[in-house]
Amino acid sequence: MNKKQWGFTIITVLIGVMLAVQFKTVKNTDVRDTRDTWQLREDLQNEEALRLELLKEIRSQEEKIAQYENNIDANKEEVLRSTLDELKTEVGLTEKSGPGLILTVQPIAEELIIGSQVGRVTPDLLKRLVNELNRYGAKEVSIGGHRVINSTVIRDINNITKIDGYSIQTLPLELKVIVENEDDAEQMYKRMQVSKSIEDFFIENLTLDIQLAENKITVPAYNEPIQMTDMKEADKKSEGGHS
Amino acid sequence: MWLPILGLLIGLFIGFMTDFQIPDEYANYLSIAILAALDTLFGGIRAHLQDVYSEKIFVSGFFFNILLAAGLAFLGVHLGVDLYLAAVFAFGVRLFQNIAVIRRILLAKWTSKNENLEKN
Repeated sequence: MNKKQWGFTIITVLIGVMLAVQFKTVKNTDVRDTRDTWQLREDLQNEEALRLELLKEIRSQEEKIAQYENNIDANKEEVLRSTLDELKTEVGLTEKSGPGLILTVQPIAEELIIGSQVGRVTPDLLKRLVNELNRYGAKEVSIGGHRVINSTVIRDINNITKIDGYSIQTLPLELKVIVENEDDAEQMYKRMQVSKSIEDFFIENLTLDIQLAENKITVPAYNEPIQMTDMKEADKKSEGGHS
Repeated sequence: MWLPILGLLIGLFIGFMTDFQIPDEYANYLSIAILAALDTLFGGIRAHLQDVYSEKIFVSGFFFNILLAAGLAFLGVHLGVDLYLAAVFAFGVRLFQNIAVIRRILLAKWTSKNENLEKN
């Protein structure tokens, strides 16, 4: 009897262990933190930079509140106007100038001789390029004299590439990119030199010429009313959240 | 009677206390192995109640079933056929059958005990 029970017990112990391990394995599906010291350092740096930026923003907001409170009777209108101007600048309704790059899209000269078709600047190419520029820290971008803002659409209408309704047909096409400061401009210039966009444009029989602007360049203001049909007021609870 | 249950609890305790985990890829094999183990366990209980229990059969059945089930699952993965379903099906059906038999035996025992009490 006893001997019989021992075998049984050992087996049940084994089953218990298996069950527990399985439970734990199924339950523990969350991803482990596998970052090494350098990655952690980098992430920490990013977070610090973010914190600095947020602090700056908080300070500016607090200043504004103080300003509002101080001038509540005196020149309310002026404060409002300055806020409005600030917002307009942020959205892109004003002209802006600063250091940056000038990118020129041109057809390939040799191709003209052979007689094959000159490529078209497709919306995909432009979108990719703009995304790349934004990734490298572009502050303001204009394409062919049209300002690119957050709600700008670049799309194909009847085989014509249009940016916010303006068609882009004539080459060369000039893109102006403004960045924060001259160091950033130089960095972006170097990055764009080895960018894959150049190859992408070349496939379409176009060349992308990148130049570092010597003087400050100016991008025009966005000159259409901004439509905000799909915008909603943010939920108060999720205010201040940042990804 | 109580020793196996105690063993199960000890096993669960050890499993939860130790920080032992298997990689996700092998979780499938362990789950099928657990099914096989449960099948064997209930088979053993049934055999016990029917007085045909043999330790050799029980222990060998335990390990053999686990290996067979995991082997089938492994083969299934490599052949692209969900062979582990065969194991799930077989063990699942047997599990139900064994539990049904156990229930009947226990019920029969219980009713006969009641009848004995009434007679006395």
